[in-house]
Amino acid sequence: MRWLRSAMVVLIVLAFVAIVVLAAQLRGELRLLQEEPVDSLHWNVTQLELDVVRLEAAATLAQAVPMADLADLRKRFDLFYSRADTVTKGTMFLRLGLSETVTPLKSRMQAFLDDTAALIDGDEAALRAALPEVEDALGALRLDLRAAVIQVIDVNAALQDARRAKLSDVVQMIALASVALIALLLGLLGMVVTLNRQAGRRAREVQRITSRLAATVGTSLDAVVVAGMDGRVIEFNAAAETIFGYARAEAIGQPLANLIIPPHHRAAHDAGMERMKTTGVRHVVDAGRIRITAMRKSGEEFPVELSIASNDSPEGMIFIAYLRDISDARRAEAALVAARDEAQAAERTKTSFIAVMSHEMRTPLNGVIGALEVLGRTPLEPKQERFLTLARTSAKQLLRHVNDVLDISRVDAGHAGLLDDRFDMPALVATLVDPLRPVAGQKNNRIDVRLLGDFPPLQGDPFRIGQILQNFISNAIKFTEDGSITVEAEVQRMNGSQVEVELRVTDTGIGIAEPDQDRIFEDFVMVDPSYGRSVGGTGLGLAISRRLARAMGGEVGVESAEGEGSCFWLRLPLRSAADPTVVAVSDATPHQSQASPALDVLVVEDNETNRIVLEEMLHHLGHRVTLAVDGGDGVEKARARRFDVILMDLSMPLMDGWTAATAIRLLGASQHSRILAVTAHARPDQTDRLEEAGLDGWLTKPLSTASLTEALTRDHAAGASPATDHPLETFLDAERLDDLRRIANQAGLHRILQKFRTDIERTLATIDVDGETASPADLAAVAHAGVGAAAVVGASRLSRELASLEAACLVGDATAMKAHRAGLPAIWLGTLAALDTEIGAASVNGSDGTATGRG
Amino acid sequence: MHTIRHIRSTWLGAGLGAGLLAALLTTGAGSAETLPAAQGEVILSVSGAISTTNGDGVLALDADLLATLPQHAFTTATIWTEGTATYSGVLLRDLLAAAGATGATVKLTALNDYQIAMPAADAATDGPLLAYLADGQPMSIRDKGPVWLIYPFDDVAAYRTEQTYARSIWQLNRIEITD
Repeated sequence: MRWLRSAMVVLIVLAFVAIVVLAAQLRGELRLLQEEPVDSLHWNVTQLELDVVRLEAAATLAQAVPMADLADLRKRFDLFYSRADTVTKGTMFLRLGLSETVTPLKSRMQAFLDDTAALIDGDEAALRAALPEVEDALGALRLDLRAAVIQVIDVNAALQDARRAKLSDVVQMIALASVALIALLLGLLGMVVTLNRQAGRRAREVQRITSRLAATVGTSLDAVVVAGMDGRVIEFNAAAETIFGYARAEAIGQPLANLIIPPHHRAAHDAGMERMKTTGVRHVVDAGRIRITAMRKSGEEFPVELSIASNDSPEGMIFIAYLRDISDARRAEAALVAARDEAQAAERTKTSFIAVMSHEMRTPLNGVIGALEVLGRTPLEPKQERFLTLARTSAKQLLRHVNDVLDISRVDAGHAGLLDDRFDMPALVATLVDPLRPVAGQKNNRIDVRLLGDFPPLQGDPFRIGQILQNFISNAIKFTEDGSITVEAEVQRMNGSQVEVELRVTDTGIGIAEPDQDRIFEDFVMVDPSYGRSVGGTGLGLAISRRLARAMGGEVGVESAEGEGSCFWLRLPLRSAADPTVVAVSDATPHQSQASPALDVLVVEDNETNRIVLEEMLHHLGHRVTLAVDGGDGVEKARARRFDVILMDLSMPLMDGWTAATAIRLLGASQHSRILAVTAHARPDQTDRLEEAGLDGWLTKPLSTASLTEALTRDHAAGASPATDHPLETFLDAERLDDLRRIANQAGLHRILQKFRTDIERTLATIDVDGETASPADLAAVAHAGVGAAAVVGASRLSRELASLEAACLVGDATAMKAHRAGLPAIWLGTLAALDTEIGAASVNGSDGTATGRG
Repeated sequence: MHTIRHIRSTWLGAGLGAGLLAALLTTGAGSAETLPAAQGEVILSVSGAISTTNGDGVLALDADLLATLPQHAFTTATIWTEGTATYSGVLLRDLLAAAGATGATVKLTALNDYQIAMPAADAATDGPLLAYLADGQPMSIRDKGPVWLIYPFDDVAAYRTEQTYARSIWQLNRIEITD
């Protein structure tokens, strides 16, 4: 369009120039025609010829009448003379461009006139005598003149034709140029009209967009504030007026920073603007949504969600900020968090209630089962034997129920306590399946094991995997008769050390109806309650399996057709073990009557029933037993002589198992003995505490001969490797640290730990300095803050010690307060050293040098 | 300019005689007057609707009689001659006035019977001069004499037209005024 316009303008100028040039040319031609007309050529030459003829006639007449006057002849001569002179000397031929052509004519006439003039002007007699010659000369002259005149006229005609043609050409060209000019001008006019129309349309469009934009900005629920590069407000919409409290007129032209940015953020804002101006680096602009604090006219600060866009405008760079008051959202969020925290607290209460209940139930159950065990080894009548079996079965079933419920609450509370051990999948499957073969055989079922793929040693929780698989197989056996059960294990390598394991238990049993297939994984669901009761079960098996599978990052499921069979599967992401040479085989299956050397065993147990049961069981296994009735008694006996193994009940009045174990480790003959905790609180999350107290392991009540045998044997074989050699396990919560490593990068971790270090050092300093003078309540508050800070980074030992201090403060136990305060510095040094080992010296040990706290 | 001044001086030089004739002409308008008959060779005769005559309804003029009329001169080139010449004589207007012409058309005829007619109004302008002297010399027939009706072509471009050229009649010897 633009080039077309330029081209047209050029053409118009060219046409105009052409017209001007042609017009000048035409004007020249016309002037020639108009201003400088010439005498009529035809007239003159005709007159010339006529004058000759008349002269000739006069000569003839003069000859015919001998005495006639010669005056007429002389007048005719003069007239011809004059005519010839006019033709010869006039400008006619010159003007007509015929000077050359007329030369022969001129010289012919001149010759005649020169010859004859003397005779005419001479005396009459001589003239009369010469008349015949004169007449002849005139005749010849007339013929020559005619020929010459015709030639002149011919040439002239050609010349005039050429001139007319030229004129005609010029006129035609002017006409052509004029037509072209008019066409071009019309084209240009059309273009102008079109452009004008376009401009009008564009102006209307711009108007429309502008008003639409204004309406959009004006009705926006979010505040829209536009500022220039100088930070002054250019636009301030209605929502901005409402949110910030300034009228639009009030805000326009003011520095944005003074209006809506809280004073303590202004320096950062100014620095940001300055940085952007000088370096062009933007942190906030065009960075999407961010949350910051803004300020109302009243000075009230409130949270806003903000996004800033930048745009080039004719006045330079402008910034468009969209702000949303999120005070309400924040309040709602806070309420939601509070509600969630409450719900979680309620959930925790429930979980701890269940844990306590399980303890309360399992302690008497321990007694019952133990008593039945002991009873079973005495001579019994067949009838008694039968009742005893019944009692045992019922007790075990009850125990299973309690364990199931406990499992659920544990996993729900996030205390699944997953192990991360090396294990061998084919061995695990074999050890699970083999003991079940006789049971399957009773219902005429066959169990096949198929391993698909090449299993590397794996890293994971073999116990939990075994629990799930055992649940699947037990179910399959329950619901299948005269059929086959196939256990398949398949492994697929993924990236690096990642593998995916799928375990399938397929049976040819009764199958599960389609609508029940999802339901069976829910809590307390039994598809056939009557059947379930008859085989014994809580309906929690699959629910636990699913929970465990999910806790391990996997999933369980079932495919089944009613009457044809079911296939339960477990799919898990696992890691292959780094060191393939050491493979721990799961001990999930009990090994009956294992031969083991006789050991000296000290049983520390306050409950008499349990004490007797344990004693009987240990005797039965061929060990030597010493009994202690409480913690103090236990410490005394352990110090007095060396035992191979000490079984320590944890929940005892006066001195509990933790304290007793610590005391035994401190000094005495059994300082280096294996100490095993015996507890109904099956809380694996306390494992680290066990080790910290110097306990080598734990047994869950109620004890069975099998588990007791296993524990004693393993512990004995495990040799001397005091667990307390691991600072991490003593001072730190490995899981928590792993979590931290997952959620933060190295730099972030360092920052967190630095903050922790600062906080704790302040806390410890406060406790150290004000410990004597401050009120117990204040000290409790200081300690409480420390508990939280320490728990965050997984400094579990420190956290517990501070918690104990807090508890002591709250009950006002001065002795305990003093003891816990005294213990803090050493624990702190140990914690630092442990962190040093775990995370790296640079992160925590800045100025204090190397702390020595290894236990 | 030069030419015009020259004409004026000529005009002033002829002051006295012209004054006399002018008085005579103006007082004689409307009634028949007579002039003395020409003594020399008649070079121009005026006839038709005229009130002043010196013969039988004809005003026959010789060079001397012409010389008594107001004299006028200018220098010009023509398309029929080489170079320029100063032509002197009587303006056609003055002659017609002297003759007491009252007709609408002036018919002029040459020795060779070449004839043109022009409206009296055209004749009454400053242009047409009845020249009988070229550069002060009487003009022969060979030089387009004895009288040549000539226009100041050089001074007035408007006279350089075909019609004016056609009216520039030479070897003029008769003028007839008709209605």
